[in-house]
Amino acid sequence: MRKQTFALVLLLGCVFAAPVAAQIKHIEMRVEGMT
Amino acid sequence: MKQHLGRQSGVQNVDVSLRDGKVEVTPKEDEQIDPAQLLKATYDSGVTVAELDMTARGKIVKDASGELALQAAPDRAYALVPNELSKSLQSLAGSPAEVTLRGQLYKKSGKKKPSPSTPLKLVVLEVEKE
Repeated sequence: MRKQTFALVLLLGCVFAAPVAAQIKHIEMRVEGMT
Repeated sequence: MKQHLGRQSGVQNVDVSLRDGKVEVTPKEDEQIDPAQLLKATYDSGVTVAELDMTARGKIVKDASGELALQAAPDRAYALVPNELSKSLQSLAGSPAEVTLRGQLYKKSGKKKPSPSTPLKLVVLEVEKE
């Protein structure tokens, strides 16, 4: 039972520690009135 | 403007080309950036934004109104303006597959400033192959 709990905690830890894959990679703007 | 944008949350680098009127913003790795906030910050720095394009990776989902959307952050999805490319993404809706899209998120119309209450919609211009 303890081993199962440890495995579950480890699994959840890995899931939440994983980097966020979904994200904005680049933004480009065309602006007017810049001096 | 470069300094002003550089201070925004999640911004790694800002490149400004005076000749082309182009501003490129590179987000920080593994941090979220808000295009609407960047749009406002750019207007606040005294210039007008004609267009804002973004490249983003995420899952294709259906939002509350049944429209296709790109989930580019856990708490942020951008509705896709229907076109041929967005139709080709229909089969991915709800699947765990992630796609990288390049699209136009804002285009100036008339002399109106963008309203913060109007959600930005993504016109898909390119679907990047994995």
